[in-house]
Amino acid sequence: MPDMVFMQPPGGGEPQEVEATPDILVPMLVAGWRQCPPPAPQEPPEEE
Amino acid sequence: MANIRELLIGFGKGKQTNITTANILAQIWRLAKLNVELANPRYVTENDAAELGKGHEFATQLFKSHIESGPHRLEKYLSSEFAAWLVAFGLGKVVKSGLGPYTYTCTPLNLPTDGLELPYFSYLEQVRPGANDVRDLMLVGCAIKGWTIEINSGPGRANAKATVEFVHSGKITEPSGITLPAATAENLLNAYSLACTINGVDYVTAKNFVSLTMGWDNAFRDTSDFYPGSGQQDGYQIRGRMEVGDRAPAFSFVARFVDGSAELQKVRDLTTGTATIQLTRDANNSLQVTWQKLGFAVAEVGETDGIVTVAVTGQPMYHETNGLLSAVVVTPVDGICQ
Repeated sequence: MPDMVFMQPPGGGEPQEVEATPDILVPMLVAGWRQCPPPAPQEPPEEE
Repeated sequence: MANIRELLIGFGKGKQTNITTANILAQIWRLAKLNVELANPRYVTENDAAELGKGHEFATQLFKSHIESGPHRLEKYLSSEFAAWLVAFGLGKVVKSGLGPYTYTCTPLNLPTDGLELPYFSYLEQVRPGANDVRDLMLVGCAIKGWTIEINSGPGRANAKATVEFVHSGKITEPSGITLPAATAENLLNAYSLACTINGVDYVTAKNFVSLTMGWDNAFRDTSDFYPGSGQQDGYQIRGRMEVGDRAPAFSFVARFVDGSAELQKVRDLTTGTATIQLTRDANNSLQVTWQKLGFAVAEVGETDGIVTVAVTGQPMYHETNGLLSAVVVTPVDGICQ
C-alpha cells in the first residue's frame, strides 16, 4: 500500500490526502502545493 | 599544533525556523567530508583613505563594514543521506513520506507561491572542542548556493561524488555550545548501480556510458541581502535573507560514440526527452533525479582513454506540468529539511 501524505494548495485551503508517488507529488509541487500536517480530527458532537 | 584531520563538522539536517535561529542539537548531524577548506567568515573593514580633510591620501581609521561568508564548499562521496540533504536544501521544496526508510521528493521552489528563500541550516566546525578548543564555531543561517553530482568511470567511492557550495548569513555563535553527536553511518551510492536513460537511450544497458555531471546554481542575489535592518554581528552588518536569483541547471555527459549513436542528430533535430538518473544501493537507499525535458545543446565527438566518445552538454528545459527537475531520495534518516 503506498504511503499517503497531506498536501495544501497554494494560498491555503483544504488539505488533500494523496498517494506519495512522484507522479502525483511532482505536478502538485510544481503547481505550488506544499506538504502540511494531517488536519486535526474533528470532535464528535456532544450528546445531550 | 592541531592536525587538519581533527576537524569535525556538523550541520543541520533539519531546517532552522528562520535565518537567525540556530539549529538545536537534536537537528544536527555529523558527517565526514573530503575537502580541507575551512568555512571562514570574513570580517570586511573599510577605511578613511579617500576622505578629504586629512591633508594626505593615507588611512587613519578603520571602520566595521560587513561579514562575507562563503561560498563554502562541502565535498563528499555520494550517500543516500547526503543526497537527501543536498536536494532538499538545495532545491527548496520537499515532501517526506514513509515511516522508515523515508522518501524525500524534492523540486525547486515555485517562486510565486514559495517565495525566494531556501531553507536555512547551521554549520559547525570544531577542532578539539572543549575548554581548550582550537576551533569551535557555528555559522547560523546558511543556505545552499549550488550543488553538483558527478558520476565517473572507475572503481571505488570516488566514482560518485557530490559537492555543495553554501553561503552564510554572517551570524556566528562562538563557541558553538554544541557537543556533536557520533558520526552518522552513511549508505554510499556508488556508480556501479547506475541506471540512466537520457532522451530515449538507455546508455547503461548498452555499456556506453562514461561519465555524467549534473548540478544546480541558486544564483543568490547577494547585495540585496544587506538591507536596512538586516542585522549585525559584533558591529558588522550581516545578511538578513538570501534570495535565489536566476537559477541555473547544469547537465552534461560523455558516452562512447558507436555506429547508430544519435547524439549529433538529436542536436540537429532539437530532439527533447526526459533524463532519468538513478543510483540504488538497496531498497532503503537510492537517488533518482529526473530532468523533465532535456535537449542537447552541444554534442562533440572526441576521445576518452583512446576510445571515441561524444561529449554532450544538455539543455534542461521547463516542462509545463512537471517543472524542470525532481529528485526522489530514499534513506533511513528521518527529519531531513523538516
